[in-house]
Amino acid sequence: MKPCTPTPPQIMERRGLNMKILALNGSFRKNGNTEILLKQALMGAETEGAKVEILRLTDYRIGPCRGCALCLFRENVCQVQDDDVRFIFSKVDECDGMILGAPCYFLELTAVVKQLIDRCWILGHKIGKVEKPATVIVPYATRGWIPYVSFQSTLLLNLMGLTKINEITICTQGISEVVLDQEAMDLAYDLGKEIALAIRAKDFTYHGDLGICPSCHDRLVRILQDNETIECPTCGVRGNLSVKDGKISAQFEGKAWAQSRFRPDVQYNHFTYHIAPSKDYFLRTKEERKIKTEKYKEYLKT
Amino acid sequence: MTMYFAKLRYYPGDPLEEIRESDLKSFEKEYRVKISYEKIENRETKDGLLMERTLDKRIEDISQEVIALSSDQEDTFSKCIIALYKKYRSPRTPYSLMGSNDAGQKIAKKLMNRHGGW
Repeated sequence: MKPCTPTPPQIMERRGLNMKILALNGSFRKNGNTEILLKQALMGAETEGAKVEILRLTDYRIGPCRGCALCLFRENVCQVQDDDVRFIFSKVDECDGMILGAPCYFLELTAVVKQLIDRCWILGHKIGKVEKPATVIVPYATRGWIPYVSFQSTLLLNLMGLTKINEITICTQGISEVVLDQEAMDLAYDLGKEIALAIRAKDFTYHGDLGICPSCHDRLVRILQDNETIECPTCGVRGNLSVKDGKISAQFEGKAWAQSRFRPDVQYNHFTYHIAPSKDYFLRTKEERKIKTEKYKEYLKT
Repeated sequence: MTMYFAKLRYYPGDPLEEIRESDLKSFEKEYRVKISYEKIENRETKDGLLMERTLDKRIEDISQEVIALSSDQEDTFSKCIIALYKKYRSPRTPYSLMGSNDAGQKIAKKLMNRHGGW
């Protein structure tokens, strides 16, 4: 029998055999719908040669951001050292693509996802980060009760330096019931294949519903106080609404994309001009704050 | 007589459109207020992006555009601020009115909530 010769690294890479896909599970339930759908997607990714891994976020300690701002002012120092967030971020760093799964209970994703979003300060802005694709799976129970799920996943993925290439929401309820919905299972499987193919082709084009916002594709719209301008609350891109033949249409100017808060230069400006200089103001007002906060120290002390 | 004086500090990317001195002159004339404009530019191109280290800098020294306006008339002062906010949006940070006097700051801050464009 002919001995098996190892495949050279270049060929491994070309075939996608070195790619790692990480699934982050934002559900506490073991073998619940989120976990099943994520595993189904990972099985799809494996058929394209990906190495796969899944982490259940609730198995890890993810403490709240303490708002100390050391990560901003001392650069990359997080005061919370006694939890597992650094480990989770290192796993995201190692992977070539990610699948985020989280159920929607009350209009938005589970709290553990928000907890992780708040800890993303340490990751800073996107400049210099390697671009990677990500995709999202959200099981939910009642149609119409998921308005804020897309914005949360967009936010987390962008802060982590990932580009969302697709997102699916699956209507399913009781534990593991999703296996009865073959269409949902097929969608998840294809989603896994899709992200593996995207990594291989280095093509991070968005494949999901194009929605309203030209940047994040969500359908949320905020009407500003002038009652003339609309804004995507997630990205900050602005445009106008019109109604023609009974159809609502949102128009975003060509320059709208230039305002997206997820563009590297816009993120850079935010950190550089809105966040970092607050240190100067903070230090200048030290004495005044000290005097004025005195009466709150003992009042209703906990 | 109360003097109203406000400094609106816009950082890179903040104004909705380019701040032109000719536009500010028109505002000055229309609202009969005094307006001055200062541009501080300390950014340098690095890796194709305009970059600047701001962490340990004084707020007044980092790249920004400052529109300073003053008047002894509350009404025209307020109307001019609303017009500026409509054109450029209001400045964004808690320290973006630094250098204003109390009377001017109070008005500029109050108008941000209603007319700031955010």
